[in-house]
Amino acid sequence: MTGIKKVSAYGLLAVASIISIFPFFWMVISSTNKSSDVTQGKLLPGAELMNNLTKLLDTIDLVPALLNSAKISILTTILAMLIASLAGYGFEIYRSKSKDILFNILLLSMMIPFAALMVPLFRMFGSISQVLPAIGIDTTAAVILPTVTTAFLIFFFRQNTKMFPREILEAGRIDGLSELGIFFRIYIPTMKTTYAAAAIITFMASWNSYLWPLVVLQTPEKMTIPLLISNLGSSYSPDFGVIMTAIVIATLPSALLFFLMQKHFVAGMMGSVK
Amino acid sequence: MKKMLSLLLVSILLLSACSGSKSKDASTSSGKDTKEITVWAWDPNFNIKALNLAKDAYKSENPDLNVKVVENAQADIVQKLNTSLSSGTTKGLPNAVLIEDYRAQSFLQAYPDMFYEMTDKIKADDFAAYKIPPTSLDGKNYGVPFDTGVTGLYIRTDYLEKAGLKVSDVQDMDWNKYIEVGKKIKKATGKVMLTQDPKDLGLIRMMIQSSGSWYLKEDGKTPDLAGNEALKEAFKTYKAILDADLVKPASDWSQFVGGFNSGDVATVPTGNWITPSVKAEASQSGKWAVVSMPRQSDNPKSVNASNLGGSSWYVLNIPGKEKAADFLAKTFGSNVDFYQTLNKEIGAIGTYKPAAEGGAYKASDDFFGGQKVVSDFASWTEKIPQVNYGLHTYAIEDILAVEMQNYLKGKNLDKALEDAQAQAEAQIK
Amino acid sequence: MQKTGEVLEPARPVKAVSPKRPLNYRVRNKMIGWSFVLLSAIMILIFYFYPMLQSLLLSFQSGTGANLSWVGAANYTRLFKDPVFLITVKNTVFYLIIQVPLMIILALVLSVLLNSKTLKWKGLFRTAIFLPAVTSLVAYSVIFKYMFGQDGLINVMLMKLSLLSEPIQWLTDPFWAKITIILAITWRWTGYNMIFYLSALQNIDSSIYEAAKMDGASAFQQFTKITVPLLKPIILFTSITSTIGTLQLFDEVMNITAGGPGNATMTISQYIYNLSFKYTPDFGYAATVSYAIVIMIVIFSIIQFRVAGDKE
Repeated sequence: MTGIKKVSAYGLLAVASIISIFPFFWMVISSTNKSSDVTQGKLLPGAELMNNLTKLLDTIDLVPALLNSAKISILTTILAMLIASLAGYGFEIYRSKSKDILFNILLLSMMIPFAALMVPLFRMFGSISQVLPAIGIDTTAAVILPTVTTAFLIFFFRQNTKMFPREILEAGRIDGLSELGIFFRIYIPTMKTTYAAAAIITFMASWNSYLWPLVVLQTPEKMTIPLLISNLGSSYSPDFGVIMTAIVIATLPSALLFFLMQKHFVAGMMGSVK
Repeated sequence: MKKMLSLLLVSILLLSACSGSKSKDASTSSGKDTKEITVWAWDPNFNIKALNLAKDAYKSENPDLNVKVVENAQADIVQKLNTSLSSGTTKGLPNAVLIEDYRAQSFLQAYPDMFYEMTDKIKADDFAAYKIPPTSLDGKNYGVPFDTGVTGLYIRTDYLEKAGLKVSDVQDMDWNKYIEVGKKIKKATGKVMLTQDPKDLGLIRMMIQSSGSWYLKEDGKTPDLAGNEALKEAFKTYKAILDADLVKPASDWSQFVGGFNSGDVATVPTGNWITPSVKAEASQSGKWAVVSMPRQSDNPKSVNASNLGGSSWYVLNIPGKEKAADFLAKTFGSNVDFYQTLNKEIGAIGTYKPAAEGGAYKASDDFFGGQKVVSDFASWTEKIPQVNYGLHTYAIEDILAVEMQNYLKGKNLDKALEDAQAQAEAQIK
Repeated sequence: MQKTGEVLEPARPVKAVSPKRPLNYRVRNKMIGWSFVLLSAIMILIFYFYPMLQSLLLSFQSGTGANLSWVGAANYTRLFKDPVFLITVKNTVFYLIIQVPLMIILALVLSVLLNSKTLKWKGLFRTAIFLPAVTSLVAYSVIFKYMFGQDGLINVMLMKLSLLSEPIQWLTDPFWAKITIILAITWRWTGYNMIFYLSALQNIDSSIYEAAKMDGASAFQQFTKITVPLLKPIILFTSITSTIGTLQLFDEVMNITAGGPGNATMTISQYIYNLSFKYTPDFGYAATVSYAIVIMIVIFSIIQFRVAGDKE
């Protein structure tokens, strides 16, 4: 890069970073202030963090909710990536007319707003509850099952598989690997960055998911973080300092996961596999 | 490959294990459902605390019943109830639930037979009259009336003084006078009178209820917008307040609260439930008073009392209903002492009339310069005109909010209300 | 099946992987292909298509709450006469046409810059730009309302720089409120889309760029002639998913303007929410409006597949 280009690249990235980070920064600052300072938009850190934290732990069962959210999100992420990458790979590598038709039909499932599916889905889990209460209403399984297979993720894996060099597959076949073996031993390691991106997105979506867990979970002990935060804000006289503290805590896992995963976005990783 | 497969296996095992353990305690809780009832409510500082106090009060005489209090935001409760009730799945429904008065009819009518009748469990006459229509259907009581949304005008006495006015000058005034006072205060202090969120017509609702009018006719179904004199005056007053430049725009709750915490506004015309938020800014202690709500000028029926919000308890018609009904009847339905505790502990003002005689209601509050705020609110509560909120408060409000914008931009008022009427009729059938 | 595959494969020369394979081999290969996609297909069938079918049936019914009755196509004719629905369609399409291209180009440019080998503080920049995607909706809607308020940061800054003579009504003017929403969505989702590009960029062989540089291609030419064509599958993916996201837009509008002023910023999804939960619920009509969204998305997706030259 020449000097001017370099400066403008850094300039653009710096501006984008500052704009991006500002509300996050404000959120963190606000967790250290008292409620009336938050509502007045104070931009300097205060000394209320410990106070907010104590109040937060008094009003809600933060730790169990964090564990519930973690359990649901981790299970969803692992299962979703496996199921979706198998399908995305299958649709692209073993491409056929009939599979393409099926693929397009599956895509339809991401086009309907979830609000329209909620009542029928709830009725379905109501019936399931009567025969198989272990995966019925008010269970972790009921939260996970409908969201673990998404056309979105299958689509993502398929599009990435389009960029996957076929020669490697043939090389694997020559080396005597089974079809499933090729998938696990060649495809997965090669597509590390795709998995990293998919994991971040899936974890985040699951961690923040609101509508379905809200409807399907009933027992307070099973509730997830977004549900509890929503409760905090439901008051006639909400304590915004406490809410912001809760939000910061709820945000950290996704931010941390991204920070760790983004190291996998290293240019030319593909080349090294070849 | 083996790693991935074992990962998959482990996660499936984990999944079944954790859902398995959940189902166990679910079945134990349903096994003893005669001894446990679940109640849903929102607002941890208010309704939830009230419920917990009720639980304690009830426990001393009925130690066997375990009352499980579940906290959910109001919008969340509305979603959960609607989803469960419309899917016909009673599993997971609570035994009792708090519902906002504006929404009560929509639940009672949309899900007939799903709510348990309370007519014989409580004495309707013991409650503020205006709470009865929203909580009843076809002459039967379904709800146990709870908190009042009785309104008052919170006003900064220091700003009043600077404008050369006393608290007695602003007592029992009408909205025209309010605007005059506002101009004087603005001249003297540079402060505006109130914050307003253009999306929220709460001010309009308070104005028309003070005249005994509503968005719907008394049947609770027919839109009453075109030619509704109270509504018309409310629109005019709203515009006059804006034209006099007495408003600071706010676009959400935090900005509304921030408006008075920061001292930017001289008044807060709203429900008594805002008291804790006003008192949150301790540095303003002694600088506030609460006077009666302004009334409408052109309408002789209008009184200096109105309502904003407020909610009531309902029992769902599922197993455990008798227990839940008994719990509510013996606490919120009849217990004077309980209401005193409620007021002392969380400042809640109920709508149970006998409670107003108790000692806690007569206490003075130093934050409000020694004013007996609760007693004042209780006396205004009894004056609130009775209206039928009916089925469509929020649907009509969305239509009116659009026409309000049009009116503010210069559209003829009668035309605006006629258009709103036509649209409401088409939409709500 | 796998075992035999392992035994059979090595014996075959590469050339043998061709349509001339014996029939049973092709059938078996087909079976393997189907088995890869079977689990997903079943799950989606159960958890999406069954409820979708129920919802479709619901769209021919109307009434409050549980009092539903069959009304035939009445809900669908009501759609075309419903002024609120028509306004929400107009608003949503406005967001779509301006916002999706803007965001995709921005995300693409940022990810290419961030993929540069010589760039310092990559991790820092990437995390910063991704942060909006994890920032809580509550926090960012509160802060957006402050920043875009009448005497908020944005107006104050623009006026100090003398770019404005009087404040813009970012939240209360029907036109500017739409712009604020577009800025808000772009802010929140650019970093999110950037990840897809970042991960895909790793799959491009860097030697291609080196060859292009030797041929004297400028940075802009490299971007348009190499990066964009090679990323086409992912660009198609992000534009379709962003289209879906925008046509189902709900969170931002609900939290920043609540659809106001009037209903100038209201979206179709918000209207579905109102019909189902804010007003006395009419799940039948709400389902009809949902299917209107499905139809719009299908049309936009077909257009995008066609433009991308994908023959699906």
